[in-house]
Amino acid sequence: MSEARSAPSAESAFRSALLSVDPRLSKFRPLPRILAFDAFDSGTHGWTELLGNYDGRGNLDTVDDHMRDFRPPQLSSCTFFDIGTHGAMSGTYALKLATRPIPGHTATAIRRLTMSGRGLLQIEAYFTYKSEANLGGGPENDRFGDVVWDGNLHPSEAQFGAFTVATDLCGDGGLRYHTVARYLNTDLDNRLARQWVYPTVPEPTPREHLEGKVKLGYAADFTAPNPEDWEPFGEPQELCYNEVPTKVNWHYLRWQIDTEARRNVELQVNDRVLDMSDVPVPPYAERYDSLENLLNFYFSVRTHSATRNFLFLDSVVISVDW
Amino acid sequence: MRQSQTAVLERNTTLTGEFATEPYEAAWAGEARWFVQVLERSAEDAELVLTTQISPDGITWCDHDGGSHRTEGELTTWAVHEFGQWLRVRGAVTPAGAQVKVRIYLAVKS
Repeated sequence: MSEARSAPSAESAFRSALLSVDPRLSKFRPLPRILAFDAFDSGTHGWTELLGNYDGRGNLDTVDDHMRDFRPPQLSSCTFFDIGTHGAMSGTYALKLATRPIPGHTATAIRRLTMSGRGLLQIEAYFTYKSEANLGGGPENDRFGDVVWDGNLHPSEAQFGAFTVATDLCGDGGLRYHTVARYLNTDLDNRLARQWVYPTVPEPTPREHLEGKVKLGYAADFTAPNPEDWEPFGEPQELCYNEVPTKVNWHYLRWQIDTEARRNVELQVNDRVLDMSDVPVPPYAERYDSLENLLNFYFSVRTHSATRNFLFLDSVVISVDW
Repeated sequence: MRQSQTAVLERNTTLTGEFATEPYEAAWAGEARWFVQVLERSAEDAELVLTTQISPDGITWCDHDGGSHRTEGELTTWAVHEFGQWLRVRGAVTPAGAQVKVRIYLAVKS
């Protein structure tokens, strides 16, 4: 086989040149067709709070307990008690997800699209994650989980639970499935794990509750409630928390899936590319109506401590090869 | 075109005694308005007294200078200006022991 590489087409070279001189897009590596370019200096761009389903009377009491309080996203200037406004990676504002200070509580931002084709689908983002700064108290606040403040490591890092990027996809006659990647910063005992994990089961649905199959409580893990239904993939990965809860360092995330094969492809976070082609994607056993061509993405953040956890997104690009 | 955003900070929440909503960042907005919708009262005279609070960091809070507001009827609303970075609303249910079920909206606009 020849090692010579064929020259890129004029169209491809031109596109590449245009992307490379656009400071908004040159920090991404989008697939040929960009469906969404969301920079949160100009609003929330359709990233909205997730809410469970409810009855025909608009009675929000009929929303499942674990799906009624995922909190609205905020446009944040990343302002903190010690230095004031940090600002986003580009411009002033980032999209912020903030949990309540209740162990298990989750905040989400969901983006709702539909598919006009099948094939490769990619989401890219610049993100950072934080625990809320803790002010006051005694020396007991200098340790949490297995982290003791030593001038470098900060206990707030162990107060951050997990963040997740995931899809909700449906098509091909109502076949519904999720692809999910979660960064488990700590386990449920607040011990550092720093491990990417995926769920082995589909997400519980409001219909299953209505049919008496499942009833989850407030702050249950809506993606997969049983901790035993999560499996690791790849090696543990240390991210840049940067010692205190008020320093913001932006991380690159690129996640590719294949909606033709209904499979994961790969996840890149900073310099690490994780092969996800063997990560299973369990579909729902039953078919779904009214979801044809569903293409939803969500980010979520979940605290494992009684401290608010935050996920900040500077910008997000969704692109496809169809 | 002005930017606008509505956040539902409490959704069918039953309150008793004192409470405060979660912190909400709205530094980009020039104006804000609270809508407090009373869905149920445990007694005819059950109501809420509500006060806007502001914060420089989302952790430490003081009352905004707009005063307090008492729920009357189904929907109570008031405007907030010059609030800086962070907003929340604190409140207390009266009389003691009474319960009020609410939805609380924060509508902000650039």
